[in-house]
Amino acid sequence: MALTETRPETQPAQAEALDGEAVPTTLIDGVFGSGDHKTIGRLWIGAGALMTLVALVVSLVSAIELIDLEAFAIFDDGDQLTQAWSLGRDLLLFGGLVPIFVGLATFIVPLQVGSPSIAFPRGASAAFWSWFVATDVLILSYLVNGGPAGGKLDFSILWVLALGTMVVSIGWALICIATTVLAARTTGMSLERVPAATWSFLVFSVIGLFALPILAAELVIAYLDLRYGFLPDKASRAGLVEIMNGVTAAPAVYWLGVPVLGIAVDAIGVHTGRPVRFHKPILAAIGVFGFMAFGADFFSFDFRGRMVAADNGMLVVALLAVMLPILATLALAGESMGKGKPKVTTPLAAGLLGGLLLLATAGVALAAVVDPIIGFIETLTGNDITVANKLEGTTFNEGIRAMMMGVGLLGAIAGVHHWGHKIWGYAPEDRLGLLTVLAAAGGTVLWGAGNVAAGFFDQLALPAANSNPDDILQITGIVSVVGVALLALSGVLLVLNILGAAAGRLNGVEPWTGATLEWATDSPPAPGNFPEMPIVASATPLADLAADKGDS
Amino acid sequence: MTDITVYRKIPDNVAAPTPARPRVLLIGTALACISAIMGLGSLVAFYAAVRQDVIQSGETWLPSGVTIPLTQPNMMMLTLWFSILIMVWATYSLGVDDRSNMHIALGLIVLMGFGYIAQTMFLLEIMNLGAASDSRASLIYAVIGAHVVYMAIAMLFVAFMGIRTLGGDYSARDREGIYAAAMFWYVGVFLYMIVWLAIYITK
Repeated sequence: MALTETRPETQPAQAEALDGEAVPTTLIDGVFGSGDHKTIGRLWIGAGALMTLVALVVSLVSAIELIDLEAFAIFDDGDQLTQAWSLGRDLLLFGGLVPIFVGLATFIVPLQVGSPSIAFPRGASAAFWSWFVATDVLILSYLVNGGPAGGKLDFSILWVLALGTMVVSIGWALICIATTVLAARTTGMSLERVPAATWSFLVFSVIGLFALPILAAELVIAYLDLRYGFLPDKASRAGLVEIMNGVTAAPAVYWLGVPVLGIAVDAIGVHTGRPVRFHKPILAAIGVFGFMAFGADFFSFDFRGRMVAADNGMLVVALLAVMLPILATLALAGESMGKGKPKVTTPLAAGLLGGLLLLATAGVALAAVVDPIIGFIETLTGNDITVANKLEGTTFNEGIRAMMMGVGLLGAIAGVHHWGHKIWGYAPEDRLGLLTVLAAAGGTVLWGAGNVAAGFFDQLALPAANSNPDDILQITGIVSVVGVALLALSGVLLVLNILGAAAGRLNGVEPWTGATLEWATDSPPAPGNFPEMPIVASATPLADLAADKGDS
Repeated sequence: MTDITVYRKIPDNVAAPTPARPRVLLIGTALACISAIMGLGSLVAFYAAVRQDVIQSGETWLPSGVTIPLTQPNMMMLTLWFSILIMVWATYSLGVDDRSNMHIALGLIVLMGFGYIAQTMFLLEIMNLGAASDSRASLIYAVIGAHVVYMAIAMLFVAFMGIRTLGGDYSARDREGIYAAAMFWYVGVFLYMIVWLAIYITK
């Protein structure tokens, strides 16, 4: 039986069993002092969803301004616009979507591997609170004219420190998650038997632990750059903006797609009533996809301004190959769709659309490096873009990023709805969820399409963009605005649904059940998660249990 | 909630799985080491890239008047290599439940860590390189400083695990904490080898 070294601080039921008296907990020590992975997971999910909404609203405002760059109807100048755009980007990734996935993993992974708690529970709690404080400081740094395009040097340094703390805190949380999967599994739960979601969270964590320190190192350099003003050729504030390109450009940004695939596979298994048959090949495909996301970026390592570059052979090969594991995962899991009885539920719809849009994003990114496609677009638009690198610096990469953010949001919606009842004891409203999925999917396509199309018409990305006199660019700008608005709407609906479930005003009946271990516990699980440590012999222990009961 | 007690019955023809060993701290430390290697590696990579740019532009890398003597870096290298042997002594002693020897060894490790930090401070002093005096200086300070911070954390880790062993947490039957601290220390020595080559030797 696997054990974690440190038990959660707050396990009232166990304490009661030991000394016969329940340990009273108040809201303050139950939340702020809790090492319970369920409380920490809820905090990550709730704060992440709220930050996602804020980020999308800020992105919407900057997208509206981008329709006509010469007018400056909302902001005073380009610096203010760059600030808002940058805030939306930073917050959506490290303040919103990644924290939601960290929260889902913190809550679900111990349940899926049969562990009574997450590894290093106090560390997991500290990671959340340090991230939370740093995220607030990051927003504050923008408000006081700091940030990458800000006018006050001290507050720009504050932005660097806040972003660095967010990155380190997330890395810290990822260590807790990965360690739980690697070392705290219950008896019989080998790595090849862990559910696809847990496996994807492991891949997500390990890639994060390889990639995030690179960003942290870049932030150290950025701090020195700001403080001492060196790097004469790269020291501009634009360089600060470009730091985030390392994690928001393809293929590095595919990192966000890893848990989306895992959640989609788990959702397919549950909502078709047929656990996925090709479990191990799916795990392998998700692993390969994760390696592609990191590996290609690693080989194309450059300090700043990483873009889809046609002259980087490794990157081109990786961008081509990255579609294969996505296709394999969806196709193998699709067997359950064909032979099972799919129900139109929010997790299934969000998971499937997330997976398909991930595939589409990989395909669009590929378009930048395939000459025939470039030639075709060249003919279509009349613009000379034969050299694929001409897309560098345009909004093309913004489009890829926008699509990946949408894919991430769909994955988050799928996870929150799939395990919502397990998390809060009340299931999020499914019809409202379907509306959320529609808005998110539509928004993803439009936000991405608007930016990608503008890139093909040579629209420069911020902070370089300063004018767009062409009518066609105003049309692509409007398309982008509609896209972000839809995503913001889905963010509002997601937050409303989470609030409803957390307040206990929604459906209290467990809406569905699955074949993996988390469905063997109460909703929400009691302290310690399982009355007895389960012993498993396959990837679908509850399906085995049902079969055993059928035999007997 | 599903009753899982029935499921605990494993068919007779299935071999009992090997019980998993609790290696939470060891694996968590390994993951932290990976991150540290990536972080410091990135800093060194950036240092090397900037250095190459400067040299290709016809300038010298180190500002005039700055020298990097080799005595101190080499002594630090020898100290840290020697600390590996001491760490092996500590883990071996724990393996045979010889706690006195283990604590002496861990104390020496921490002492060597202090020696390394003191030597680094002295080296920076005699290099005549003010942190804010030059852009290149701040980069050198960043790389060296990152490693000093790592070693300080490693010293705290070793000391903390030593105290926990004193409290009875670790013994010959469970050496995980000391092994984790040892791994963290070894990675610190490995990282110093990179810093030593990139900054002190290559100059």
